[in-house]
Amino acid sequence: MSEWWDYGLADLLLFSPRVYYRLFETMNSTWWLVVASAVVAGLIASGLALRHGFRGNRVILVLLALVWAWCGYGFLWQYYQPINWAIPYLLPGFGLQVVLFAIFAARPLPLRFGWRGDLSSYVGLTLVAFALIAYPFIGLIEGRDLLQAELFGSAADPTALGSLGFVLLSRGTWRWVLLPVPLIWCVISAGTLWVMDQQVAIVMLAAVWITVFCGWLDLKNGVTTKRLTEAEIRDPAA
Amino acid sequence: MSELDRRRFLKASASFGALGAIGAVGATGLMASGMPARAQGAKDAALPEVLQKQIPSTGEAIPAVGLGSWITFNVGNDMELRDQCADVMSAFFKAGGRMIDSSPMYGSAQDVIGYGLDALGAHDKVFSTDKVWTSGDGADQIAETSDRWKVEQFDLLQVHNLLGINDNLPLLFRMKDAGQLRYVGVTTSHGRRTDDLMAVMKNERLDFVQVTYNPVDRKVEEYLLPMAYDRGIAVIVNRPFRGGSLTERLEGQPLPEFARELEVKSWAQLILKYLIAHPAVTCPIPATTKPAHAAENMAAATGPLPDDKMREQIAAVIGVLV
Repeated sequence: MSEWWDYGLADLLLFSPRVYYRLFETMNSTWWLVVASAVVAGLIASGLALRHGFRGNRVILVLLALVWAWCGYGFLWQYYQPINWAIPYLLPGFGLQVVLFAIFAARPLPLRFGWRGDLSSYVGLTLVAFALIAYPFIGLIEGRDLLQAELFGSAADPTALGSLGFVLLSRGTWRWVLLPVPLIWCVISAGTLWVMDQQVAIVMLAAVWITVFCGWLDLKNGVTTKRLTEAEIRDPAA
Repeated sequence: MSELDRRRFLKASASFGALGAIGAVGATGLMASGMPARAQGAKDAALPEVLQKQIPSTGEAIPAVGLGSWITFNVGNDMELRDQCADVMSAFFKAGGRMIDSSPMYGSAQDVIGYGLDALGAHDKVFSTDKVWTSGDGADQIAETSDRWKVEQFDLLQVHNLLGINDNLPLLFRMKDAGQLRYVGVTTSHGRRTDDLMAVMKNERLDFVQVTYNPVDRKVEEYLLPMAYDRGIAVIVNRPFRGGSLTERLEGQPLPEFARELEVKSWAQLILKYLIAHPAVTCPIPATTKPAHAAENMAAATGPLPDDKMREQIAAVIGVLV
């Protein structure tokens, strides 16, 4: 008689904020070198994203593939999955994102990172900077220990937020393929945080809306409809 | 439920309440009185004297307060938090508690209970209560649940939130008939699907049902609890504190004057007394992360219980404050 739609959002949340934030504490202290490396990878990728260059594009995509792989295996599987039965259903999404970044890195690039000076670029840069620099310290405002900081490249929320920013900093007809997984994660995470009474849920939702809005603007302005020329794809300086 | 049944239940309820007031004497006297309440005093001299309630289908007595694991015991592989949960279980057993409830839905809670039972060597103390929660293979899930608890056989298994009930309930009955399970039940929560649950109660020989009930969520008082009493089905109460939000909102508020008669020290105890004083209720299962709260909850199963009038007062006072 009963089916899954009988459940409300609150029914499906089965852990407390105390336990949730302890996940980051144990992960950060156990895997501190990998966690720090992931942040460095994010900083390198953000520096490259603001410059033009063929190699830079590929390095960004490889770094993003690596941090998504680590985030999926390290955080989601090793730490989050034991307290959240839904993770095995979400993990394939992370795998898909890794594959997409890897495919984009391996093939002649149908997209290119770089500063365009439009609204999407500003929003993209803001999201990347927020995910890398500001997000880890949000917990301090709410009285949590710094050791529980959620860091880009390891914790899923800042990784998804930052990735949205990276995608907005790129142009090309296939850019949209990289958006669904981080967008869906942000929506799911916003719901989780909302049920846990965490204000940061609003940030996650706001990021979703602004990304979708910028995507629509870019569509109108040709950023995602104008094909890259063969010369642009071949020549990093083009 | 017929009008006659309802009247009979209300009469029993009133008698029980009256006894509680007279017996401001404490729980032990309840059984001796032969009143409709299915309760008696603790038998194990080594344990504190706590109110026991009978499981109607067998007459077996269990302590009137249990321990839930929803959210509180889902701590993953964090050993520090696992040890804290074991401390909660230790305090619960020392205070005379027995029933611990969990579900495959509760993340790592089953593993944590298994860890605690091992750490405390308490497999013989626990009244193990879990659920089957799948629209797939129930037998597989029960086997996994058993591994996680590290028990060979459960005392009670329930169909969680009626999920897959057409397959899972017959499975549980077959297990019971084969001597692999002692009791069978069905659960719901948040006041949902009450009509569906009552249809199952009417048509199946259930030992237990589990429902949400507290001084604010009283929907079950109208029909479900009288029906359970009438049909001899034990009632486990989940969300007695509304997942903690009820006691949080009452925190800092002074207890009402009449609470002194009940010898309660906290709102949590007052709420639990409100619940276990109901003749149809067998065992509320509050969850906690603090050993002191586990002991405090168990202490609600000692001393006098409120009568019907006082129960209404409790519901009224809490209704105003939250």
